[in-house]
Amino acid sequence: MTQDVEMKEQSVPSNSVSSTAPSAFQQLKEIAALIEIGAYSREVRRIVRAIRSTIQLRRKLKASVISAFLNFVLVPGSEAHSRLSSYLPKEDVHDMEVDTASSTTQVPVKHSLPELEIYCYLLVLKFLVDQKRYNEAKACSSAGIARVKNLNRRTVDVIASRLYFYYSLSYELTGDLAEIRGNLLALHRIATLRHDELGQETLLNLLLRNYLHYNLYDQAEKLRSKAPRFEAHSNQQFCRYLFYLGKIRTIQLEYTDAKDSLLQAARKAPASALGFRVQCNKWAVIVRLLLGEIPERTVFMQKGMENALRPYFELTNAVRIGDLKLFKTVAERFASTFSADRTNNLIVRLRHNVIRTGLRNISISYSQISLADVAKKLKLDSANPVADAESIVAKAIRDGAIDATLDHANGRMISKETGDIYSTNEPQIAFNSRIAFCLNMHNEAVRALRFPPNSHKEKESAEKRRERQQQEQELAKHIAEEDDDEF
Amino acid sequence: MDPKITELSQLFERFKAAFVRKDFDTCAKFLSQLKVALTEFKSLPPLFEETPNAIQERTLARDIYEHAVFLSVKIEDQEALERDFFQLKPYYTDTHGLQPSTQEQPILGLNLLRLLVQNRIAEFHTELELLPSSALENPCIKHAIELEQSFMEGAYNRVLSARQTVPHETYVYFMDLLAKTVRDEIAGCSEKAYDSLSINDARQMLLFSSDQDLVKYIEEEHPEWEIRNGFVFFQRAKESTPCKEIPSLQLINQTLSYARELERIV
Repeated sequence: MTQDVEMKEQSVPSNSVSSTAPSAFQQLKEIAALIEIGAYSREVRRIVRAIRSTIQLRRKLKASVISAFLNFVLVPGSEAHSRLSSYLPKEDVHDMEVDTASSTTQVPVKHSLPELEIYCYLLVLKFLVDQKRYNEAKACSSAGIARVKNLNRRTVDVIASRLYFYYSLSYELTGDLAEIRGNLLALHRIATLRHDELGQETLLNLLLRNYLHYNLYDQAEKLRSKAPRFEAHSNQQFCRYLFYLGKIRTIQLEYTDAKDSLLQAARKAPASALGFRVQCNKWAVIVRLLLGEIPERTVFMQKGMENALRPYFELTNAVRIGDLKLFKTVAERFASTFSADRTNNLIVRLRHNVIRTGLRNISISYSQISLADVAKKLKLDSANPVADAESIVAKAIRDGAIDATLDHANGRMISKETGDIYSTNEPQIAFNSRIAFCLNMHNEAVRALRFPPNSHKEKESAEKRRERQQQEQELAKHIAEEDDDEF
Repeated sequence: MDPKITELSQLFERFKAAFVRKDFDTCAKFLSQLKVALTEFKSLPPLFEETPNAIQERTLARDIYEHAVFLSVKIEDQEALERDFFQLKPYYTDTHGLQPSTQEQPILGLNLLRLLVQNRIAEFHTELELLPSSALENPCIKHAIELEQSFMEGAYNRVLSARQTVPHETYVYFMDLLAKTVRDEIAGCSEKAYDSLSINDARQMLLFSSDQDLVKYIEEEHPEWEIRNGFVFFQRAKESTPCKEIPSLQLINQTLSYARELERIV
């Protein structure tokens, strides 16, 4: 540790690059120190904090900073160091000289912790992805994963799970997702054997994403139902899982489950993850339409989402009015958006809902109406509209969508009187669902309280208490800011 | 050419001849022989090795399975159809250099129709997701999709008229099955929607050719319907008694759970 302090003091005056680089470099060194402490004391939380600090650094990462960091952390000439340095462009040789000069002035006591090594892989990967050098990112991540397979330490898991994510991302951005499916499955197996829960979660999500990318809903569901489930370790992974689950359920026509999952995912997602929330909301809107309920206007007017949700807003309008023609025009006008979101088939399913809503409006407004008029109002375009209308109305009555009877001889539909709803059990049921939701929320909040792991064992000295309070303050600050929370 | 392949092709020719002759038992026998012979080829799924004759072997295997699918439709064995279709599916999804088969679209449409008839709508939609949007324009598949839509909406007469416009003769079997399902559906809907129907109307709606058939159907399937004075009365009296009872068990459960949760709040 003392050597680190000396190093810091020496490199600050001797580093001649622009003023932002030392601070980034210093932050990287602080992170490295954090990781070391965490690795030695086997506390995973410190490593999580280290990762979180890296997120803020991402913008400041430059090749020179990273190569300096690599020189600092890894034994130069080791296999990992040479491999990783080959990805970084050899910029100012001047900088490198200065840095190597300063680093050789002190006795290098680098234990070359595996955590630090994998962390370096992660840094280089982020840099490559940000520079859009995806092929090199692919190679780098494959090398990193090969290294991780040999390690079996809980403290590495946190960093390794980020590595898996970038592995999958680099392949996805080059369009080769199908290649890594076997690898991801093998990694998931290894993670389960080692009881690496965070890794399991991450890999399961990556696999689901892989299957859903190719529309293989059947296989995705089979994997999901067989994979072991446990309490979520990471909020972001949980949100992703809920989103994929909602998608699968929608395709399988289980709309109620899908709605719950999608709405929960949209709610739990951090406020800065705008793209993700937009997607969740799009699917949630469609599922609610398919269930027969109309989402309120405020859903579409959320900040930053108005443009993206515009097609869905028009669609909801068409369904609400129950006008088939309008529905068809809207569907055709925004067909490209819908096919980009892969919701095309779902929109087709909505046609049936449009007819139902139209029928419901008619049945509420008329006490008696001839079937020919019903067909005209619904704008059913077919060969035999009256017979169609008759069968459609009969099915709607059987499904309980409308309350009416048909008179075949006169070709009329006669609506029944809607009774007083407060004299039935309906209010009780509605209240019950709301109460259950609130209680559920309270229970989840209680369960989410975290306590430091060995706190009940040792008595706190004054120093430790100060340290703990400082940590809690920092944590509260992080949560309050939620700045650039990575997704 | 590889002697095994020649032998297999010859057997396949005999199978096709028997199929045209409508000699289904011999067909079935040949088919089992063909399937056993196919296991000796390494280039087929799930191994997918690259032998020199890989393309030929795979094309041959695919033809064999396609004919197996058509055979199972002819002998009206739905489970065999399902099995053969699953064996055929990898040939369509992982093509590995095969020419696209002309029978692919009709067979895919046939599978969709089968799922619809067996009322496995969730799987129907999952399969639909796998198809690229260009496939949706194909008449065979479009036919199945429109059928499903009409079925969901309840426009059953459209379903029945679609029988006339089958794109492929193998579809006729499923359309007949579908007609039966549709009849049950119409009966269920009419029960709820109408108070009573004249015998003529009922006969027309349920697509019977004579009154005796109608009466027999009612006696078998819906004994609770009454036939009086040339009218069919659907039993609806039991619905009109308003439920005055309170669902006490449910209310007790709910209230107890509230009390329990409230106690837990510290």
